[in-house]
Amino acid sequence: MDAEPHGSTRRESLSHHEIRALLKRRVLSFFLDWVIWGYVAYAVMFFLNHYWFTWIPAHWYDTLALPSWGWSVTIAATLELTVILRSSGRSLGMRAFGLDLRPTSGERIPVLRRLLRILCWHLSVPLAFAGFWARPSRPWHDRAGGAVLVSTKAEAEEDNASPDGGPVRRPEKRALTTQWGIVALFLFGLTFWLGWLIVEANLSTLASRASKAGDLFRKIARPDFRYFFTEDPIFVLRRGTYSILDLMVLTLFMTLLSTFLGTVLAFPLSFLGARNLMGFHPLGLAVYTVVRGFFNIFRAIETLLWATIFAVWVGWGSPFAGVLALTIHTIAALGKLFSEQVEGIESGPLEAIRASGGNFFQVIRYAVIPQVMPAYWAFTLYRWDINVRMSTVIALVGAGGIGTLLFYYKNEGEWSVVGAVVIAIVAVVWAMDYLSGWLREKVVR
Amino acid sequence: MAQAEHLVIDRLTKVYERGQVVALKDLSFSVKKGEFLVVIGLSGSGKSTLLRCVNRLIEPTAGSIRLEGVELTRLSASHMRRVRRGMGMIFQQFNLVKRSTVLTNVLAGRLGYTPTWRSMVGWFSKSDHEMAMANLERVGLKEKAHVRADELSGGQQQRVGIARALMQQPTLLLVDEPVSALDPATSNSIMQYFEQVNREDDVTVLTSLHFLSLARRFGTRILALKDGGIVFAGLPGEIDNARFKEIYGEDAEEVEVR
Repeated sequence: MDAEPHGSTRRESLSHHEIRALLKRRVLSFFLDWVIWGYVAYAVMFFLNHYWFTWIPAHWYDTLALPSWGWSVTIAATLELTVILRSSGRSLGMRAFGLDLRPTSGERIPVLRRLLRILCWHLSVPLAFAGFWARPSRPWHDRAGGAVLVSTKAEAEEDNASPDGGPVRRPEKRALTTQWGIVALFLFGLTFWLGWLIVEANLSTLASRASKAGDLFRKIARPDFRYFFTEDPIFVLRRGTYSILDLMVLTLFMTLLSTFLGTVLAFPLSFLGARNLMGFHPLGLAVYTVVRGFFNIFRAIETLLWATIFAVWVGWGSPFAGVLALTIHTIAALGKLFSEQVEGIESGPLEAIRASGGNFFQVIRYAVIPQVMPAYWAFTLYRWDINVRMSTVIALVGAGGIGTLLFYYKNEGEWSVVGAVVIAIVAVVWAMDYLSGWLREKVVR
Repeated sequence: MAQAEHLVIDRLTKVYERGQVVALKDLSFSVKKGEFLVVIGLSGSGKSTLLRCVNRLIEPTAGSIRLEGVELTRLSASHMRRVRRGMGMIFQQFNLVKRSTVLTNVLAGRLGYTPTWRSMVGWFSKSDHEMAMANLERVGLKEKAHVRADELSGGQQQRVGIARALMQQPTLLLVDEPVSALDPATSNSIMQYFEQVNREDDVTVLTSLHFLSLARRFGTRILALKDGGIVFAGLPGEIDNARFKEIYGEDAEEVEVR
């Protein structure tokens, strides 16, 4: 083979688009490198702090606290480390994004040129951010370093396109014996170790205090069904007294109502949140973006948070608050699932209905709905399942339902009655789980 | 009597924005009333794009399409929907709603004539139902009316597609590779339905086909596309070996489909 070709890129002129793409990969690869080194540096500091620096001031010990200058030094040091390592050709980020640093002439970049590149980087990149970047394809530090960043992806494509198939590839290795595998394994190990220390995991406490939990379990295991049918005269919620069964029935109606309302409202919205129906028209795109944004934001806010909001709004302990919270989250979660289902349908029938002169609504009614109905049913039942489980917890923040009793007796320390409530909840959740699973199977056909 | 021009296409161009692919370049031709025009050409030569430009399922980039004197490229969306009612379309993959019954699929051909609220609840008029059964009888599938569409064979599904297109009472049929997904024997019988519709109902047929033998047999005129341009337009008999190689490339051999 020729000794020369490492030099300049094979194709001298890159299009504007290619330069932008290369620049983007370059920046992303840099940040990947920086994040990895930053993480390693953070871990090293944490370990030093935890295991060896027992002489440091007490308020530093075993905390994440660094001195006031600590974070800025860490950031600057890892940044520097990244620049140095990238200039010496040690960069995971470059490999990940298919980039390679090559000399513009000769076999390899001399050490002095590499040092020059590191020095120039500190001038070139800040200036580039300030808007003084003459040529994004070859920034100043690259030129000073006698180096050029090339895309190995593009090269591989050209090699594949060439008739002789390019240079012989190395055979595939097992995933964990590649450099990537080793790095991944290292990072996993590091994360586990670091996490174990940070969350203060302690197996010996778990074992030594097991007797405490034992007491609790013994009480729960002897459930007290005193208040199962008869109302507890002491427990008063919104001027009413309730038995476990009363609140269980109430909770079931909460889930039914919220699932029903949520589905009915998510159904029409799901068509507006589907890319393939809304098309590329500016108005369609706007509607799509708004609806999808609504789904994503309202889904990201957990039911528990919605319950908190509505409990304040309509009153603490009111089941209506729970219904509202469950409904809102159901709309967003189902809407997203529904929309994705619509996006996955066959486009042929849509085309056929359009070709016969059908309008938007007729396309939905005759081409979309028949295709998505089974999945819609399945998702709705699945959501009902989730709502049943969720409805028992939201009482914690005052959204009513059976959970109110659970947390009341827990706070009273009446663990035997808690046991009875738990059994009632488990029975209902299990039954609903079974029922919805059975219905789903029937419906999907 | 000189037959009237049914469809006049003038300098039609379609460029796909992404990748700047030119699918159709400067096509000009016309279709006479009652004609059976077959468009042939390799895959990717622009046949499907051409057919979909005619009813504007694909928006043409430039050029004009005139249907019985009406310029289609500048029509509003709702006006275009009304024009589409008169143009039936048949698809390579049949494009039936598989989970719906055959009857529902056929009735969907009437959607352009049905008010939106009625179609939402699925109340098609009695005459629509009668017409659907008549059309199903015509394609020999009357007894399958209440069967789900995906229970039918490929040939039967295409016949449902034909019945659906006939529900529109079209004056023009746009047929996109109707037999590519079917075996040769079924292909022939499907093509005969188009021939029958063309002759008996006086419907103009514009169809794309892969096989030259079928094009020769059924077409009254042939249009050959290559890379989005017309390389041949004339009678079926005029395609000799040299023309064939010009259309399909040097290495091609003609295959018989009976």
